[in-house]
Amino acid sequence: MSEVQQTDLLIVGAGPAGLSAAATISADRDFRVMVIDEFPEPGGRLLGQFHEERNHSWWIGKIVAADLIIQNTLAGVMIQCGVSVYGLELLPDGWRVLTSKGDIRTKYLLLATGAAEVPMPISGWTLPGVMSIGAAQVMANVHQVKPGERGYIVGVNVLSLAIAKELVVAGIEIEGIALPPDDLFAMEETNPVAAIELLTRLSDAAPAPWMRWGGKLAQKMKLSRLIASCFPKKGVKVWDLPLQLRTALVSIQGVDQVESVIVADVTRSGEIIEGSQREIEVDFVAIAGGLYPLAELAALAGCPFLYVSELGGNIPVHNERLKTTLPNLYVAGNITGVEGAQVAMAQGRLAAHSISYDAGWFACEEEPKLLDAIAEVKEVRRSAMIQFHPEIDSARKRIYELFEHWM
Amino acid sequence: MRKSLRINHHPLLGEMDKKVISFTYNGEKLQGLEGEPIAVALLANHIRILRRHEESGSARGLYCGIGHCMECRVELLGKGQVRACLTPLKEGMEIREGSRLPNAITGRVDS
Amino acid sequence: MTTESADVVIIGGGIIGMATAYYLAKLGSDVVVVEKGEIAGGTSSKCDGNILAIDKEPGFDSQMSLESQKLVSQLVMELDEEFEYRAPGSILVCESDEEMEAAEMWVNRQKEVGLPFRMLDRGEIRSEWKYMADDIHGGLECATDSTVNPVLLTYSMAVTAERLGARLKTHTWVTGIRLDPSGAVEGVETSSGLIRTKHVVNAAGVWSKPIAQMVGIEIPVEPRKGHILVSSRTESIGTRKVMEFSYLMSKFGKERKVDQLTEQYGVALVFEPTASQNFLIGSSREFVGFDMKINVDVIRCIARRAIRFFPVMKDIPVLRSYCGLRPWTPDHLPIVSRVEEVPGFYIAAGHEGDGISLAAITGKVMSECITGQETTISIEPLHYNRFKKEAGKR
Ligand SMILES: Cc1cc2nc3c(=O)[nH]c(=O)nc-3n(C[C@H](O)[C@H](O)[C@H](O)COP(=O)(O)OP(=O)(O)OC[C@H]3O[C@@H](n4cnc5c(N)ncnc54)[C@H](O)[C@@H]3O)c2cc1C
Ligand SMILES: Cc1cc2nc3c(=O)[nH]c(=O)nc-3n(C[C@H](O)[C@H](O)[C@H](O)COP(=O)(O)OP(=O)(O)OC[C@H]3O[C@@H](n4cnc5c(N)ncnc54)[C@H](O)[C@@H]3O)c2cc1C
Repeated sequence: MSEVQQTDLLIVGAGPAGLSAAATISADRDFRVMVIDEFPEPGGRLLGQFHEERNHSWWIGKIVAADLIIQNTLAGVMIQCGVSVYGLELLPDGWRVLTSKGDIRTKYLLLATGAAEVPMPISGWTLPGVMSIGAAQVMANVHQVKPGERGYIVGVNVLSLAIAKELVVAGIEIEGIALPPDDLFAMEETNPVAAIELLTRLSDAAPAPWMRWGGKLAQKMKLSRLIASCFPKKGVKVWDLPLQLRTALVSIQGVDQVESVIVADVTRSGEIIEGSQREIEVDFVAIAGGLYPLAELAALAGCPFLYVSELGGNIPVHNERLKTTLPNLYVAGNITGVEGAQVAMAQGRLAAHSISYDAGWFACEEEPKLLDAIAEVKEVRRSAMIQFHPEIDSARKRIYELFEHWM
Repeated sequence: MRKSLRINHHPLLGEMDKKVISFTYNGEKLQGLEGEPIAVALLANHIRILRRHEESGSARGLYCGIGHCMECRVELLGKGQVRACLTPLKEGMEIREGSRLPNAITGRVDS
Repeated sequence: MTTESADVVIIGGGIIGMATAYYLAKLGSDVVVVEKGEIAGGTSSKCDGNILAIDKEPGFDSQMSLESQKLVSQLVMELDEEFEYRAPGSILVCESDEEMEAAEMWVNRQKEVGLPFRMLDRGEIRSEWKYMADDIHGGLECATDSTVNPVLLTYSMAVTAERLGARLKTHTWVTGIRLDPSGAVEGVETSSGLIRTKHVVNAAGVWSKPIAQMVGIEIPVEPRKGHILVSSRTESIGTRKVMEFSYLMSKFGKERKVDQLTEQYGVALVFEPTASQNFLIGSSREFVGFDMKINVDVIRCIARRAIRFFPVMKDIPVLRSYCGLRPWTPDHLPIVSRVEEVPGFYIAAGHEGDGISLAAITGKVMSECITGQETTISIEPLHYNRFKKEAGKR
């Protein structure tokens, strides 16, 4: 084990939130900043993302990440990859952080560990070739190896549609995007009505006129039940993707790896229609069960939590300035709730200003920057292309209220 | 020869420029790119089976791809069990699939 | 809020409460268990599963364990669910000649009372344990010691008790105990209403002290924290329990020869292989209140100790660690007792590091005591009176 390293601010997670926080704070002042991440390279989930903006230009996560990394390098921030954090301990003057490469002592600690995917057990899901939708994204976009030639996607949500589109761009055939079987583990997205409701959130981003019309109308007039019953059985093409809201994946077949899937038609409420089962040959299956904040480290530190379904799960209690209830401990990015990368970046900048402010050297100078940063997070959230949930603002208010109650 | 799974010319992301190196998997000599995760190098060689379940012996592969789920454990000579999705490939690595184990307590002997 | 009634209300759904519920239900009593969280959500899921006589003084201590071992082997037939029961015996290993001498004395004392103990020489240890460190001098064996999965055993007793008519109320807190004008138990107040009853069993483990205070009784039960590491699945290292003898040296008035941290955290090796090919490595003993946070320094100390005995472990990944609070008492014996001052109030708590071992015998004698039968073993040595003078201090 190496000797104990010392720093002023340690950031766990080199995703958009962590990298933005590091770049912002180190540009501002003479502060020793260290970022660590267990992935072999910095960038977090930015590395796998790209999407088309409203003006039809492409927003490419890898390029955004490269830019943040350069800013950090120029500012002298140390980014260490391949290092896992597994323990935290509060000291009288900061934090002791236990990592796979030894202990680090820091005055301030920012947790920016992002999100993880909700697993969704389906018959056959342990076969090699079945992976989470995020893994398919990482294979194709980060490492540039196809997860397979022909795939099937289970689970209809914002992320599965966005990634399906990316896979098609990479030259991978997607045989269908369908609902999971309506069983014990099924989540709200299982039935067509709920799925359509979700799709309405994508309405602006959906170039297909049907979706734009269908989405807006459904949102305004709450007609999604009607759409569910009208939805054509053979599916529709959204962004050229074969979306099948009246089909469920029943099981995944194969001896030692994926060979095919069995799918079936479902009724409006999600029940399988007998006799409609059919087999489709594929060599991989991607499961999209949704995201939840990866907050174990906050739990280890001793943070209180609040379960907030709109934000994806259990959230460490924090305030609008991203301070937790524990001394010198901050959170930013998806650990505070599932949202897109641009929001995570804005939160990273906010956390940097919040820490500078608390460090207390130039409080009068920092206050307006801090308030601007808070406003910026809200603005970025409002205009984000991909919205994970429509009620994020009000859900966040509940957490801030609980913070006040705790303090 | 099966079609390569590598995306050599991605329309938006361009090309990967990394050095080609050699390693072995279950004794078989293979090639991969230096620094890419072991699981990726294996997938590019059409290998999806990373281990056998210790108890049932059923085949297992990569699931989350980013270090969270621990499904992709392989044996790396000199290191023991490692996560194939996070461990960068190096020249000459000797890797084996995680194997089914006999169970001395239940008395199951096949492995 | 509703009012129900029962013959007996048991406070606590740990292994002690569920054993008591099972044996009472078997005798036909109408039982309600009140548990603030989940069944086995307390210490009974944060422990090992050893049912040991190897470390007990011959006499009353070991008699209790041996009776319990017999009862558990019968539970395998009686209960509705399997609980990974095995009886492969257990061993203690020695690091020095001094320890070997003490071990020999221990074995002789046990053999005198007819217990199945024997010494193991270096060769025997070597041939059974191919991964044990080379410099281990030898050890001793107790042939009847057994092992269970404590969570499954607790659940199995719970579902069987339920089948026999017991009612389990989880996520329900006991908030008070109601006494009649004569001072006898008349009911239990819970977060979901009053339960009328004439008999209450305090089986609340480390939380039994505040429950006893509800009827004005002081019992010296304190939390003694222990950590455990869980390994990933590996090739078999061994199939039965191994502990280090050095921890027993204090019984011989000798000091343990270990480093300062090992001493401070009370770390001694407990190696427990499980049926799923993981193993559990323990453990530590500390008085740090109700703090349930994992202390990484303790974990590291336990790991070092384990690697000292099994060098191969340095390459085996740890999956996770957990800690639990043993319900300690000053003389390390449980309180299994009626409380004369409060007719109808019983205590079955304070089993410290032996609650899994002693659950079956505790439940059995509690059921006998409450229904007015003669008890399988005498419970006089376990009466709460023995602490009356020193109650409250440690
Ligand atoms: C699989 C997946 C795919 C996604 N795809 C999209 C998408 O296509 N579009 C979109 O808008 N959003 C997507 N998201 C949401 C994504 O979380 C946000 O877009 C954004 O990346 C969040 O930024 P962040 O900085 O909070 O976390 P991340 O970008 O997730 O970065 C967190 C970093 O912390 C590291 N880390 C975590 N725990 C530890 C530890 N204990 N020790 C050391 N390092 C640790 C991780 O390795 C990771 O690099 C995806 C999320 C996931 C999980
Ligand atoms: C690390 C470790 C290793 C161990 N290894 C072994 C071993 O190998 N062999 C062995 O024999 N023993 C072992 N033990 C000891 C054993 O685990 C305990 O003695 C035993 O679990 C105690 O059981 P219990 O039912 O008394 O307590 P618990 O299991 O804690 O049950 C008490 C229950 O009461 C409930 N409760 C408390 N207050 C209230 C209230 N107001 N209202 C309602 N419910 C309430 C709690 O929620 C809890 O579920 C070990 C312990 C530890 C910590």
